[in-house]
Amino acid sequence: MRRPGVFAGTGARLGDVLGSQTSALGLVMLIALTWTAFTTIGGSGFLGSFNLYSIGQLAARDAVLGMAQAMLVAAARMNLAVGGIGAVCTALLGYLLVSAGVPLWLALVVVCVVGVLAALLMGFVELTTGLSSFVVTLAFLSVYGGGALLATGGHQFQIASRVLTWLGNGTLVSAAICPLVAVAVVCGALCWLLYFRNSLGWKMLAVGANERAARASGVNVGRVVLAAYGLSGLLCAVAAIMNASYELNVNAGFGSDWLLPSFIAAVLGGVALTGGEVSVGGILLAALFYDSLQSGLTIVNVPSYFIELPQGLVLLVAVLLDQARRRRARPRELAPPAEPDTASVPS
Amino acid sequence: MKRLLSVQWVPLLAATAIAGIVLGFATKQFGTAFNIYTILQTTAIYAAIGLSQMVVLAVADMSLAVGGIAALATIVVGGLYEAQHWPIGAAIAAGMALGLACGLVNGFIIAGMNLSGFIVTLATGTAFTGIAYGVTSSIPYSEIPPVLVSLGQGRVSFFSYLLLPAIAMTVAVGAGFRWLPIGRSLLAVGGNREAALLSGISRARAIIVAHALSGLLAAITAVMYVGVLQSATPATGGEWLIISFAVPIIGGTALVGGEAPAAGCFVAAIVLAAINDVLIVLNVNTEAVEMAEGLLIFAAVISGKLGQSVGRPTLIGPKLPQVARSGGEGSGMP
Repeated sequence: MRRPGVFAGTGARLGDVLGSQTSALGLVMLIALTWTAFTTIGGSGFLGSFNLYSIGQLAARDAVLGMAQAMLVAAARMNLAVGGIGAVCTALLGYLLVSAGVPLWLALVVVCVVGVLAALLMGFVELTTGLSSFVVTLAFLSVYGGGALLATGGHQFQIASRVLTWLGNGTLVSAAICPLVAVAVVCGALCWLLYFRNSLGWKMLAVGANERAARASGVNVGRVVLAAYGLSGLLCAVAAIMNASYELNVNAGFGSDWLLPSFIAAVLGGVALTGGEVSVGGILLAALFYDSLQSGLTIVNVPSYFIELPQGLVLLVAVLLDQARRRRARPRELAPPAEPDTASVPS
Repeated sequence: MKRLLSVQWVPLLAATAIAGIVLGFATKQFGTAFNIYTILQTTAIYAAIGLSQMVVLAVADMSLAVGGIAALATIVVGGLYEAQHWPIGAAIAAGMALGLACGLVNGFIIAGMNLSGFIVTLATGTAFTGIAYGVTSSIPYSEIPPVLVSLGQGRVSFFSYLLLPAIAMTVAVGAGFRWLPIGRSLLAVGGNREAALLSGISRARAIIVAHALSGLLAAITAVMYVGVLQSATPATGGEWLIISFAVPIIGGTALVGGEAPAAGCFVAAIVLAAINDVLIVLNVNTEAVEMAEGLLIFAAVISGKLGQSVGRPTLIGPKLPQVARSGGEGSGMP
């Protein structure tokens, strides 16, 4: 009856299954609500195959971004440099395909390898210096983002590959489904296999939940952290390729607005900010909800200037709901701030 | 003084001064009074942005909403002055009050829900920016009162008037953390949360105060920036994220909290502004400035960490072994 694992760990192993299941159910209901509301207000255009197609196109990329973020958030770290790596990968893809004339398969491989290496470098710096992932990835965000712009000089690359064009602008099965959706689902399936059918994924969650305990149980924390960074970089590269496949005219400025969707998809999807918990199905659903909302707001003629307000509010509400649920589920190890103390502070 | 050399930013300032003198002789443009004025103008803005972040870092939290609050404050000042014809003093006061209110909102959410400042301010900062863009339809207010223009553009030889508010803020924040009971209690909470809790200092209150102060400082920075740009645009603050961390980190603020070297912030602002200027004078791409900031953050943090042992990592940094760092002093009776 209870399908194990798609939206959380398998059964008792991660505990809190009920919580995550309800959050996935909640997301499905949210999506249904959004779709109904926008169809009622905005007319049938919202559910038209053209609109659904573009929602899927964007949601696919955002889901992969969410997974890239989740890789590190689940390991109690964060990746502020998703956009920086994205910029490097986008620029490199454009350069290889357009300026260097490299065959597509080789370009894709090189881009993925570079994405992995770029993230591994951050992981290596974190491990050797003992700095927090926040500082390391913040600094690398500016190094990578600035570096990509500097190297290409803001040059535009017009990608002409037929395969990529089909991937981002063709259709799959029905006119409402972009092939990118399949890419996102495959990425999600692989992530699920990693986390719930593979010891590496388990170790990543263990490091995220309690690094010291993981180390004490014989987990090679350094290697696991590097793996989390590498996989995050790989997913950033995939997101960059997906983004390039539907934009086609690319430059190194891509990626500058990736930070927010990556966190929205991960947090709304039920990835614990404190680490140790991941929900791949939740990320896919969260990305779908987020882009449905964005598209719906455009359809009901909310001015595009306001676009950042709902983004911020969605993230805020997601965080607050998640925290409320978590508090109910189990008390945190660290005592919450003692409110009664307020009165006793001398001023 | 021997102690002077052990202060983290002194070598940095010395190196910058020497590099500046060398450059002054080597190139024609660098040493001119106008160029130094430009550097100091940027310094003032950077220092103010950095202070806004530093007060939150002092309680071992962070704010990604500095830019968003600045955007909102900017359009409130510009809008009230141009569209509502408020006197400029009242418009500025309203902008500052709004900054304070935004900071309070952040603080209450973070402390009340026991969340990390990172994710909350990422969300609220985006929302603030969104409101600023939405309310103005992304059209800047261009009617700027002469007072602000002369503040932002005025100078005596190389001395930019903008330095006056920046120095005042630096001194006020530095003194507040050093001598005011509330400042001490913020540092106590940042330095050792459990110890502060046991000495009867409320972490929740410290977080709220720090974020409110950060919002206020961000709003003041926004007012200063209006004078520099001569336009009140909602795009203000859009590029402040990295600089807001680079300035306090390079200035020696510990990411684990418990320290608030305001003077270090100011020195870091001078250094970053000078680098920015040199790269522009030497005709290097502006993207290189961004890269340089990232690399400098590393240089600063790594040099500051050499020789320190690493303890339990927290969200924003590895926790250092708790040396008896003025931990409970802040709780002393006033």
